Amino acid sequence: MTDKKREGRRGLRLSIGNFLKILPIRKKKIEDAPDSDVRKTGSYKPNELAGIIHPGLQHLIVTQVKDLTEDVKLYRLEADRENGCERLAPFGAGSYLTFEMTVGSGRCSRPYSICSSPKDAEKGFYEIAVRRTPGGVVSNYIHENWKEGTRVTAQEPAGEFLYEPVRDAKHVICLAGGTGITPFRSMVKAVLEGSEDFRIDLIYSARKEKELLFREELDGAAGTDERISVRYVLSDEEKAGYGTGFITKDMVAQAAQDGEPYSVFICGPQKMYRYLDGELKGLDLRKKYVRRELFGEIRDLSDEEDYVRPGADEFTLTVSQNGQRTAIRCRRDESLLCAMERAGIAAPSRCRSGVCGFCHSKLVNGSCYTPAQSDFRREADRLYGYIHPCCAYPLSDLEIDVPAAGKIKI
Amino acid sequence: MRYVYDVVVVGAGNGGLSAASKLAQAGLKVIMLEKHNLPGGVATSLVRGRFEFEASLHELCDVGTEEQPLAVRNIFKGLGVDAPMVNEKNLFRAIVTGEDGYDVTLKAGEALFEESLEAACPGSGKSIKKLKDLLAKTREALAYNDRMNGRPNKLVMIFKYSKFLIAASHSVDEVLRSLGFSKKARSVLETYWLYLGVPADELNAFHYFQMLRGYIDSGAGVPEHKSYGLSLGLAESVLKNGGEIRYNTEVDRFLYDDDKRVIGVAAGGDEYYAKQVVSNVIPHNVFNMSERRNTAEKDRKLLNARRFGLSFVCLYVGLDRSAEELGIKDYTVFVAKKDSSRTQYDDDADLGVYVVNCLNVAVPDATPAGTCSMFFSIPVFSDKLMNGVEPENYKQFKSEIAKRYIADYEQVTGIRISDCIEEISVATPVTFARYFGSPNGTAYGYRLSRWDGLMARILSAADEFKIKGLTFCGGHTASGDGFGVSYASGLEAADRVLALLKEEGV
Repeated sequence: MTDKKREGRRGLRLSIGNFLKILPIRKKKIEDAPDSDVRKTGSYKPNELAGIIHPGLQHLIVTQVKDLTEDVKLYRLEADRENGCERLAPFGAGSYLTFEMTVGSGRCSRPYSICSSPKDAEKGFYEIAVRRTPGGVVSNYIHENWKEGTRVTAQEPAGEFLYEPVRDAKHVICLAGGTGITPFRSMVKAVLEGSEDFRIDLIYSARKEKELLFREELDGAAGTDERISVRYVLSDEEKAGYGTGFITKDMVAQAAQDGEPYSVFICGPQKMYRYLDGELKGLDLRKKYVRRELFGEIRDLSDEEDYVRPGADEFTLTVSQNGQRTAIRCRRDESLLCAMERAGIAAPSRCRSGVCGFCHSKLVNGSCYTPAQSDFRREADRLYGYIHPCCAYPLSDLEIDVPAAGKIKI
Repeated sequence: MRYVYDVVVVGAGNGGLSAASKLAQAGLKVIMLEKHNLPGGVATSLVRGRFEFEASLHELCDVGTEEQPLAVRNIFKGLGVDAPMVNEKNLFRAIVTGEDGYDVTLKAGEALFEESLEAACPGSGKSIKKLKDLLAKTREALAYNDRMNGRPNKLVMIFKYSKFLIAASHSVDEVLRSLGFSKKARSVLETYWLYLGVPADELNAFHYFQMLRGYIDSGAGVPEHKSYGLSLGLAESVLKNGGEIRYNTEVDRFLYDDDKRVIGVAAGGDEYYAKQVVSNVIPHNVFNMSERRNTAEKDRKLLNARRFGLSFVCLYVGLDRSAEELGIKDYTVFVAKKDSSRTQYDDDADLGVYVVNCLNVAVPDATPAGTCSMFFSIPVFSDKLMNGVEPENYKQFKSEIAKRYIADYEQVTGIRISDCIEEISVATPVTFARYFGSPNGTAYGYRLSRWDGLMARILSAADEFKIKGLTFCGGHTASGDGFGVSYASGLEAADRVLALLKEEGV
């Protein structure tokens, strides 16, 4: 009988008979199933994709080192197959890689923007540009130690400094300062190669002409693709054909000319971010149209209005990890993460700017300071006393509970 | 390293958290191992710019009020966790487009619910009365079942609670038809099927009505600090009671003795031995981490017979205008293309139905002043959806799906949001696979198919996965998926473990 007929005028009649069938039907269904091994989780499409896109750590090998300027080197990295890395994780233009390394007795991580394109990764390589900074522990280490054939470890590509067509204007004015050009080089290449489709007006500032990176390439891109333009601004030099001084709101307004909405993407040193915060105010841009790459670690807290300098210059930081407690020294002006790294403690970290939450840890006692512009903690984290050690600075002796850094997963 | 505990809890999802919390409260030496660096599993949040987005929770069922708490609030109270929540009074707005389409809003509270349903579907009065009667009988039957500790007298059930048995062995659609509801009324009442992931002509009526009852009674419970606030609260209660939690610690092997008893787990080279192990991890993954000789044929066959529940594409959208400015008045809007859940379900990858929540309607200060956030949940079949998606076009795939659903929402509601998107993040089955490691990126454990529905599972629970030393909890167990039932399943697992340890004289 069809349901319709059974239903009649008084509605469908149900019987209790169904109840008695529940178990026999189930039993039969199970009996009829194969007794093969349960299918491997990694073999399902979403899990397979997750494994490729999010491999955790990647073993890489340096295959090329090139001097871009006196103090900037370009490193090409490929999958280190001997160490089990079969392919490079794909990424969106503007992503960064965090490298993990041991420098002396310390353990460090550093994020570097990928300056090669998504298509380059498909071909088999990433590129990063590293500027040697005076006193910089990691940049000097890399310059001195990374040669062709050096094996290195990087996390999977990460970051939010990406063009998103659903959110951003189709026209993006990109403001680059110094090595802050790196994510934009990736975006320019991505547009040229068809991975992305948006208009890029790049305003690139450096101190001197000779410090401009990828100059020929950028000019070439602007010459061949009408969606791309580039102009340069030099702060320490006056030269024909270049803007002089810093990037100004007028330069941005000029690039915007046509009255259509535009996004502003900014990548450069902290000084540039702070300066542009004020400078761009005059343009009255909605927050949604201004995107900034990671701020990076704050080394000088005196710029933070609400920071009250504690009495002592150094504190005892007790780190508890998997039940093991270690007491180390932490300077007033260094993040808890830095102190742990110096002491050789393997603490998780990624963006080092407070954003990604990778270093998420519990403040057991004592107090610390998180600069407002690096505070991206969840509401409940604040409620329950969780911190991001990469942007937390000691205000007293303190104890934190830190998860293990996690095992290498390939 | 080699560690020894009374109980190891694998996975800090909703079930694992409540289990660990209760076991720690009971004074046992407990450790919880979690592969992610945060507690909660799906019960988490994500931060983008100045927005913190709820990752997965739409609403909690069965919360009651602060004065008259029901199941879920009582769980938190019992575990000593502060869990402030609001009761959203509008159950949902359902917009169905196309021929026979409608736009209906149902309200919480028995009288208001009936009133709003009658207003939307005139002439439902008689059927509503019958439904109420059925819900009451169901409740009595469950109370009896509880009094008998889940071992009811069969004759009593058949003679005294036959209505319950009938509801428990038919689909939602069959039962609603038997009560004489019109096609439209059935469609409206079935709107929530999505929360259980099975279409109304397959979904067990008793299961569905249980859920519906919970919503009608106390409205949708929305935590003030997002579901992550509940997760972190539970994690804190574990620590406060002397339990330990290790994050970034992924279990890769279940350890057995010669008697096929689970004696612990291995994670990244360390071994954790325990008298009892609780797994919040889905049986499929546990079996993948166990040697074949330690698992039973019957269980393997059960797993091979099962299908996975739905996965989701989620859009987390931060807008730089307030809900009032945009004209958003509803916390929950269901949008469907057709009014039959069966046809939706048989369609391709994305079912033609989705839910949109605006958290600010329930919790006004959930985002900074002058902004609001929206959360789109689009149920999908992972295999069909991900077909043709490759690592290289994944970013584009996410943008396109976001664009499509935002445009559809705008068209259906007339509310324009696309020009005020300040932040957006898109989760897909790949995201679920990445963070939770669930096979096929399922968010809902095993599909509650007719043969594997709630009633069938409950009736067989005692005979399945009889693995010594191991107790499962979470959305993949007998009670099915959902926040409330997962918390409850953790407590049940803890009770079982406590009883087993008592038997063993611990």
